[in-house]
Amino acid sequence: MSEDIQVLIDDVVAKALAGDMDPINNIEDRVTRSKAKAALVKAKRSQPETEIKSKASEVSENSDVKTKDTIEHIVIASLTKNFSNFLDGEQNGEWIQMKAENWFDIAKHLKENEDLYFDSLQCNTGFDLEGGMLESRYNLHSMKHLHAIEIRIKVSIENPNIPSVESLWRVADWFERETYDMFGINFTGHRDLRRILLPEDWEGWPLRKNYEEQETYHGIVVPKVKEGWE
Amino acid sequence: MGLLENRFDDNIVVEKLDKLLSWARSTSPWFFQFGTACCAIEMMAAAASRHDLMRIGIIPRSSPRQADVMIVAGTVTMKMALRVKKLYEQMADPKYVVAMGSCATSGGPYWQHGYHVLKGVDLVIPVDVYVPGCPPRPEALIEGLLKLQEQILEGRPLTRKMG
Repeated sequence: MSEDIQVLIDDVVAKALAGDMDPINNIEDRVTRSKAKAALVKAKRSQPETEIKSKASEVSENSDVKTKDTIEHIVIASLTKNFSNFLDGEQNGEWIQMKAENWFDIAKHLKENEDLYFDSLQCNTGFDLEGGMLESRYNLHSMKHLHAIEIRIKVSIENPNIPSVESLWRVADWFERETYDMFGINFTGHRDLRRILLPEDWEGWPLRKNYEEQETYHGIVVPKVKEGWE
Repeated sequence: MGLLENRFDDNIVVEKLDKLLSWARSTSPWFFQFGTACCAIEMMAAAASRHDLMRIGIIPRSSPRQADVMIVAGTVTMKMALRVKKLYEQMADPKYVVAMGSCATSGGPYWQHGYHVLKGVDLVIPVDVYVPGCPPRPEALIEGLLKLQEQILEGRPLTRKMG
């Protein structure tokens, strides 16, 4: 687009915004006219937004303080009042890394505190972080306040014990059984900690990185070397 | 036929009892109604009105005691393998097995990495007919069942050696 045409378009758009539509309609070149009309639509669209923005900036100065305090900060602040030494390493603001020791009491606080009220455990999964560490992750959600957090608890592969929250959130019953089934994380205090998917007499924890398939299961051969079978 | 010739009316057919029995078996191989994975959907479609297995005498039975054919439709996990074997043992003789789909014939997509999947149902029970496909269309299953019917028809139940 040449500069002359751009100047012309800017001129007619400015006039149209002022209320005079004649200059735009009088442009003879069809392409230029449609470009000018498009520019007018764009200008009209952006105009009310700037008005809203200027209003919003006044309001947001008050609400700025609130948005800074993410739910993670609120939860950590609330927990610090009641528990000590529960965080595990540095926090990144997206989830809360916790130690396993006080987990049951912390979970109870998270569930029963009026301001937090995480009444729904949405998911619990396991992770093998390699380097001898396992992790259990909890996604909590509050139906009342509609906020959610993620909590991660690391344990060593030699001593994978985490307190069970099965008696707080009943849904954790099967979640924890699955995590136990796949990763061998032992949830202490769980009332019915059995394998849930694999058979009772299965050996090993399949989703661990160092898992090796067993050679036979009840006399059924599990072919490890598959070349000869093809 | 010398001895019997012209002694009876025309509506009498003379046949070996052996062949009569295998004919009766082949035209009514009732299959055991169970499925272990997605192949079962195709098996149901084969039994439903569009493909209509009943027109060749094949109907589903819900008890292993009343079934002649076990269609293993779908992935058989190690946990399920023991149960499939038990169900096969509960079926009354004569009994036949159709391995339907890739999983039941060889482990299929779980061949390489499925630690929990049985690599072919023939590791646990004897299979008469393999139907390839993932999953096989109902036509393929019907083809397999027709092959099974041929097999049964060739069998000689009375002259079979026991043991």
